[in-house]
Amino acid sequence: MAKSGKKVLIFGDTMKFESILFHTRLREAAFESLQAVLPLKPAGLRRIVLVYVIRREEVAFVPYAGFDKKEAERQRAAAEERFAHWAEVVAKSGIDCTWRVELGETNPILIKIAEEEAVDLIVTGRKSRTGFDRVYVGSHILDMVRRSPLPLLMAKYTAPYQLEDGQVETRINSRPFVRPMLATDWSPPSERGLEALIALGPAVEKALVVHVLGRNVTKNADADAIAALEKESRKRLDSACVRLAEAGIQAEALLSSGHAAAEIVHLARVHEASLIVMGRTGKDWFQEYWLGGVSHRVAETAERPVLVIP
Amino acid sequence: MKNRRWAMLPVWFILMTAFPAAAAEHATAHPDLGPSMPLWSCLPFAGMLLSIALMPLLLPRFWHHHFGKVSAFWAASLAVPFLLVYRGNALYEIVHILLADYLPFIILLWSLYTVSGGILLSGRLSGTPLVNTLMLVIGTALASWMGTTGAAMLLIRPFLRANHHRKQRTFMVVFFIFLVANIGGALTPLGDPPLFLGFLHGVSFFWTFQIMPHMLLAAGLLLVTYFLLDSYFYRREKPADPSAGEGQAALRIEGIHNFLFLAGIVAAVLFSGVAKLGVIDFFGVHRGVQDYFRDLLLIIMGLLSMVTTPIETRERNEFTWFPIIEVGLLFIGIFITMIPCLLILKAGSQGALAFLMDTVRKPCHYFWITGLLSSFLDNAPTYLTFFNTAIGSFAAGLPEPEAVAIMMGDKAAYLKAISTGAVFFGACTYIGNAPNFMVRSIAEEAGTPMPSFFGYILKYSLVFLVPCFALVSLLFF
Repeated sequence: MAKSGKKVLIFGDTMKFESILFHTRLREAAFESLQAVLPLKPAGLRRIVLVYVIRREEVAFVPYAGFDKKEAERQRAAAEERFAHWAEVVAKSGIDCTWRVELGETNPILIKIAEEEAVDLIVTGRKSRTGFDRVYVGSHILDMVRRSPLPLLMAKYTAPYQLEDGQVETRINSRPFVRPMLATDWSPPSERGLEALIALGPAVEKALVVHVLGRNVTKNADADAIAALEKESRKRLDSACVRLAEAGIQAEALLSSGHAAAEIVHLARVHEASLIVMGRTGKDWFQEYWLGGVSHRVAETAERPVLVIP
Repeated sequence: MKNRRWAMLPVWFILMTAFPAAAAEHATAHPDLGPSMPLWSCLPFAGMLLSIALMPLLLPRFWHHHFGKVSAFWAASLAVPFLLVYRGNALYEIVHILLADYLPFIILLWSLYTVSGGILLSGRLSGTPLVNTLMLVIGTALASWMGTTGAAMLLIRPFLRANHHRKQRTFMVVFFIFLVANIGGALTPLGDPPLFLGFLHGVSFFWTFQIMPHMLLAAGLLLVTYFLLDSYFYRREKPADPSAGEGQAALRIEGIHNFLFLAGIVAAVLFSGVAKLGVIDFFGVHRGVQDYFRDLLLIIMGLLSMVTTPIETRERNEFTWFPIIEVGLLFIGIFITMIPCLLILKAGSQGALAFLMDTVRKPCHYFWITGLLSSFLDNAPTYLTFFNTAIGSFAAGLPEPEAVAIMMGDKAAYLKAISTGAVFFGACTYIGNAPNFMVRSIAEEAGTPMPSFFGYILKYSLVFLVPCFALVSLLFF
């Protein structure tokens, strides 16, 4: 931890999930979503900080009126009442639970609280999808994916999604840690993703380790070059599985090719992964946001929870 | 999914071109609709302004969530019958007001708001009467150059922080609204939306300097009053000096490069006021090339500010787009519903509001009636209403450039009265000018109790502003 108290991820540090910040908007299934992270207790979870942010745009700048103090107080009281009840229930699991209710813009407040409370993981929900979300999806989550200095878990307790035949189903992600899938591109954040899997340890039944050979790599390569790539990739995947096995986690390696983000989501679905773990792709703001980095595309489109490691 | 975002562009392009294209057919020889328009065609305008005045008081939650729909309702309630009856001519008028008035207006507001929002004054001052008065002087001076909204957003949080230790803070914020959010914006078209609307209609950029004596008198009186009040409360409270505490950061400005963009905005507006680069007939609406150039430059300044200012600076400034979105949505409704009223007024004695011309005859009449209505009905449409009333009285039937030249010249006293009335009286209520409610919201969020709508009028406007304005009226009009 830096002298200022600000937690920073340093490559090589042992990752742990002893303290988490759980952000909620108190929508339906919010408590169930919280309960879904309690299985981290065997992995070392000791403390949860519940956070509710009264969004400024909901109470401030009422056109030609000003500040809606009543609504701000109503939201604060409702959040504190719910959190007090949740804390009682969570405490029965032997996990300390505190809470913060703040007013302002969500993302900077989450980052500020995460620093002040020195948490190891930020857990946040996902905006409900509407027709328009498919055109412009939840910028708050996207911004957090890009900016969070800590691992960020998009919990997605209930997630409607469309199958290939057009049918819509709703997935309940009540046990996110039992079968996590690490999508690795061998980058340092992906390496930290592997450490995150190890840190999840006792909560995991079986892990998957996936690498997707992107189209831009295989497009102009000849058969020999592709074969060499595949051989090297399998070697690295097997090495990752050995590390997981040494940590007591049974693991399976998968190698695939295609459009990375779509393929990762597809593999997660086919192999029944409960969680997708990946390193944050290190692109600049413009590429990440407008052109679609892999980590944010997966975060956007996967019906599974996604854990992004910076 | 991202492809769909770009796929929307052709749809928008078709909407933006097909609509005005139809108007162009009627632009070349569009008749003057003013003499034939009935008075009741102004009802949607009255409804729109009354909604802004009353709904925040009576139905705040409904209003907060549905103000856009209310604006759309009133706009449609005018536009649909207007189009059905007057068809192509009505379409032309709607396109004209959107392209020639609304778009430049909102682009200027957006650019000033964005650039000002990138300037963060951090650290802490100690709120003594002298420091506070100085801050008000600086804010009042800045308001004419960065807009009342920009200056208010820049300074209100440092002002509140400087006085966080003080017990009596309400009057400080009220005087801030009086000076920085209203009266300070009187000197240039950048300062306050009514003046920019005048500029768009041909009032020259520096003409408003002619109301400097009025502004200096009003501001001077209020600043002296403020200093005396603050001194009184300061002596009574005997507050501890907060700068003696640990962790008091030195005052600094982040995002200072945004002042360059501000200068760019001033230069762009000035340029459009002096340059004559020809006229473009854009789907029937005649606008100067320099006007398009100005709008483009303003957008560029805003975008440059967004790209070059770290997001953390804006977050520490508690910058949010919501207020400007609100203003944007509400003013579409205002501008569209205002069309019949403006046409009738421009028709002068031949229009249904001829009686108004007979009633409002002297500059002092214009000052008070523009002012009183600006207090309750937002000052921008009120300014435009009486601007056209005056044109209808003194230059009915003349092309706008000639009419405005008369208003700036021979009838300058009337234009000064309308300008000062609209700008000054915007301070009288929370709804008189857009930054008033923004300042109120920020102050209340920060824990400073603010008076109610009527409390503000009874305890502050009537006590401090009205006597001040009476003196202005006596001396100048």
